[in-house]
Amino acid sequence: MIRLQGISRYFQVGDQSVHALDGVSLDIGAGQYVSIMGPSGSGKSTLLHILGLLDRPTSGRYFLNNRDTTDLDERAQAQARLEQIGFVFQFFHLVPRLTAFDNVALPLVLSGTPPEDRNDRVRQRLEVMGLADRIHHRPEQLSGGQRQRVAIARATIMNPAILLADEPTGNLDRASGKDVVDALEALVQQGITLVVVTHDPDIGSRAARRIHMVDGRVAEDSMPGGLPP
Amino acid sequence: MRTPDRLSYAGTALRWHRGRTLLTLLAMGIGVAAVVVLTSLGDGARRYVSGEFASLGSHLLVILPGRNDTAGGPPAMLGVTPRDLTIADTVALLRSPAVKRVTPIVVGEAPVSWRGRERSVPVLGTTGDFVRIRRWQMARGRFLPDGDPERAEPVCVIGAKIRDELFGSSDPIGEWVRAGQYRFRVIGVLAAGGRSIGVDKEDLVMVPVASAQTMFNNPSLFRVLVEARSRESIQEARTDVLAILRERHQGEEDVTVITQDAVLATFDRILRALTYTVAGIAAISLLVAGILIMNVMLISVSQRTGEIGLLKALGAPGRQILQLFLIEALILSLMGAVIGYLIGNAGSWFIRYLYPSVPAYPPLWASVASILTAMGTGLGFGILPARRAARLDPVAALSRR
Amino acid sequence: MRFIDLIRLSSSSIFSYRVRSTLTALGIAVGIAAVVLLTSIGEGIHRFVLAEFTQFGTNLIAVNPGKTTTQGTPLGILGTVRPLSLEDAEALARVPYATAVVPVMQGNAEVEGGEHTRRTTVLGVGSEFPQAFSYGVGLGRFLPSDDSLSPRAFAVLGSKLYSELFGKRNPLGEKVRVGSEHYRVIGVMESKGQVLGFDLDDTVYIPAVRALELFNRDSLMEIDVVYEADAPPDEVVGGIKRILSARHGKEDYTITTQQQMLDVLGSVLSVLTFAVGALGGISLFVGGVGILTIMTIAVRERTAEIGLLRALGAAQGQVLLLFLSEAVMLSGMGGVAGLLVGAGGAQLLHLLVPALPVKTPWMYVVLAELVALGVGLITGVVPAHRASRLDPVESLRAE
Ligand SMILES: Nc1ncnc2c1ncn2[C@@H]1O[C@H](COP(=O)(O)OP(=O)(O)O)[C@@H](O)[C@H]1O
Ligand SMILES: [Mg+2]
Repeated sequence: MIRLQGISRYFQVGDQSVHALDGVSLDIGAGQYVSIMGPSGSGKSTLLHILGLLDRPTSGRYFLNNRDTTDLDERAQAQARLEQIGFVFQFFHLVPRLTAFDNVALPLVLSGTPPEDRNDRVRQRLEVMGLADRIHHRPEQLSGGQRQRVAIARATIMNPAILLADEPTGNLDRASGKDVVDALEALVQQGITLVVVTHDPDIGSRAARRIHMVDGRVAEDSMPGGLPP
Repeated sequence: MRTPDRLSYAGTALRWHRGRTLLTLLAMGIGVAAVVVLTSLGDGARRYVSGEFASLGSHLLVILPGRNDTAGGPPAMLGVTPRDLTIADTVALLRSPAVKRVTPIVVGEAPVSWRGRERSVPVLGTTGDFVRIRRWQMARGRFLPDGDPERAEPVCVIGAKIRDELFGSSDPIGEWVRAGQYRFRVIGVLAAGGRSIGVDKEDLVMVPVASAQTMFNNPSLFRVLVEARSRESIQEARTDVLAILRERHQGEEDVTVITQDAVLATFDRILRALTYTVAGIAAISLLVAGILIMNVMLISVSQRTGEIGLLKALGAPGRQILQLFLIEALILSLMGAVIGYLIGNAGSWFIRYLYPSVPAYPPLWASVASILTAMGTGLGFGILPARRAARLDPVAALSRR
Repeated sequence: MRFIDLIRLSSSSIFSYRVRSTLTALGIAVGIAAVVLLTSIGEGIHRFVLAEFTQFGTNLIAVNPGKTTTQGTPLGILGTVRPLSLEDAEALARVPYATAVVPVMQGNAEVEGGEHTRRTTVLGVGSEFPQAFSYGVGLGRFLPSDDSLSPRAFAVLGSKLYSELFGKRNPLGEKVRVGSEHYRVIGVMESKGQVLGFDLDDTVYIPAVRALELFNRDSLMEIDVVYEADAPPDEVVGGIKRILSARHGKEDYTITTQQQMLDVLGSVLSVLTFAVGALGGISLFVGGVGILTIMTIAVRERTAEIGLLRALGAAQGQVLLLFLSEAVMLSGMGGVAGLLVGAGGAQLLHLLVPALPVKTPWMYVVLAELVALGVGLITGVVPAHRASRLDPVESLRAE
């Protein structure tokens, strides 16, 4: 489903070039549960951004469903994000003026789904996330764990094949973090491809495939080649 | 994205920042209101003047003695010429089939007295046709008699103010007043009120034209008013008047003929130009409001960087984000314009309330133009912030909270 | 807090939000520029019109027949039972401080000379006309000071009339016909151009009494009295009244001093300048709303900063002062920029359209600047007050 070939990403900082990713090659199969760990600054987020088509590699090729994404234009990339990829961030990124309902409905709104088709889907999603009684609350009225679950509901409302989570528990206490991990793993059970970046070894070790990054390279991969050993 | 969704998305953003939204609407509103009020004032003045000219009487031509060859220069207003424009000239004009009525006018000033009370007042010498041409009304009695205009009958008609000042509460009809060295019997009082260009009909004594000529020892006329048979015959009347007078003045063309339409057109042009100028100056404030919209939208974009990054992560293409921000700018300017339009209409209503005689209605072009200009500036100044939003790098946008 | 630190602190936020500050100041600048430009044009026209008037000197008094006036014109010019005569004019020579007395009779007639005829203005005047109106003779001489009641049939041509009739030929000694009478040309006036819509160059000048005869009138239209520059005008007016009332038995004439006319004209034109300035002021007002908006946003946005300042020991008054000075600096900068653009624009306009006189009135410039600063102050008060009233603990919690 995902194939990276020699992906590098350089940042030009002044007259110095930072190698955030340095020749990463990786295959991730459909339905895999992958955790990415590594020290701060090792390129985890950068990798996730490229996987999510938010960022383009400086060199290398990225095949998504056997289609080369490097030549996709901005609109096609946006379309792919809308339909195939969901994002969950460390800082939730909920729109403060919108209620939980409206935040979750955003992707449907962007895709032009008629209102009558949205209502049930959004409610159902929020109920699954255990937020049935928080539907019309704004982010400031929700706890951190609840916010992140709203964000997960929003990331999955379009039924994407891939869910990318960048330190989803990094801003939460242990109990809320557990709720969030449970919610994510429930999605894996339903067949979603989950890539989660984390600092927490307990969470990282739960994944079927564990990738360790150092200095923009894959230092360890529990399933090189994307296949069980 | 569906249009109602676009609108409601932009709407929530504007409602969320209520204070700045209201202030921006106020700024745009002031600009549009200023344009609407000022153009209604300008256009009101124009219509007022048109109305005044219409009240002068229909199909009117004015003959002034004297003519200048200076192209485009003012006509010889004082009109003192070696060869007089006479009552006989006036009567001769009736030969033209295009001419319906004529009336000669002599103007001057003389002391007028009754039982020891004396005042210096404007004296206007004319004929019975004057009231028919100018459509003046009488308050009491009757106007100057018809008949031979060369006859200096000792009768006069007075304005309301003269009646009050000379006669107080006693009845003036039938009384004899002295004007200069002559005595006149009062046969009528002009109806007060109603304005009339060039003459204050309340402060006026009217006498037969021949009497005025004797009084001022001046055989020449000041003006001759000519009423054409119809609107279509105005030009024909003008040609005839010039021909008849040239013939009577030994082939010399020594008069100026002004048609009511020409004067009206001139006033109309001047007042229109004035209205446009004033509207233009007021429209500068729309520019300032546009700059404010740009400023507020730029701030909005920088404050909502995270939101924009999120939208991109959720799969919104740049074009969609551009549209969302443009719609916000457009809502700001359009709502501001509508508010301004309403305030402006209230303002012009207030002007009409204060000056009932001035038809101060905002002209349609001004309302349409000001609202379109407001929307144009909103769009024009919204483009830059919206493009900035659309082009934000999603990764950078997301990393900034 | 020292003043210099206040300025430094508030200017630091102005400069750190560069685009925003520029646009805010730009709003004020457009408003000020509009005011300055419009009042410059208004004042330019004001001066131009006054200069047109005063080119005849300011120590001038006009006497017209008749007492009543409509729309500023004495009706006695048109017809009166109490004429102003040439003898009246001669008697006025005895008025104290009078340096010149000019009888005036104006009409319109056909003038024939060379091989051409032209309908034009006829001015019957006295011999002191050129000196009274500081209007020079270009060629030959002006009408001589003959016996004013039976002067010789001499005529002087305005420069345009001269060239229309005679082209470039020497007209001196030539005959011209004015109406039905013949005159000998003895001079041509220098060119004066249009004066307030009246073309003095397209005019023939003949002795006043001959004009009265030509037009069959027994009253002059006007008598102009010029007096010594440093003489008290009241005494001159008093002298005129004494002499004329003695001759007429009552005050049946109207006296208008040039100063009165200038005063009326000046106040009308000042109102005009003020009106266009006020129109431009609408934009300034909108610019003020802009400052209010931006400062309101700034206070919200910088809530945390305000909380920090308060935590560090800033008093409410200091926070207020900080935001106020920011608003005033924004409007002041906009004001200066607008002034430069407005005054520069006025000069540029003058270069492009030389016929349009411009003059930047410093009174309005200072006023506009003060208004700009005032706008900053007033619109800054509400946001600054709100900033100063923020609860420090709440503000620190703000993200
Ligand atoms: N926009 C950027 N500009 C410059 N350097 C960047 C940028 N984004 C990331 N980097 C650098 O790339 C490296 C990898 O960053 P990142 O992927 O965020 O690390 P991680 O998420 O593993 O902590 C770091 O050294 C970081 O400083
Ligand atoms: Mg990271």
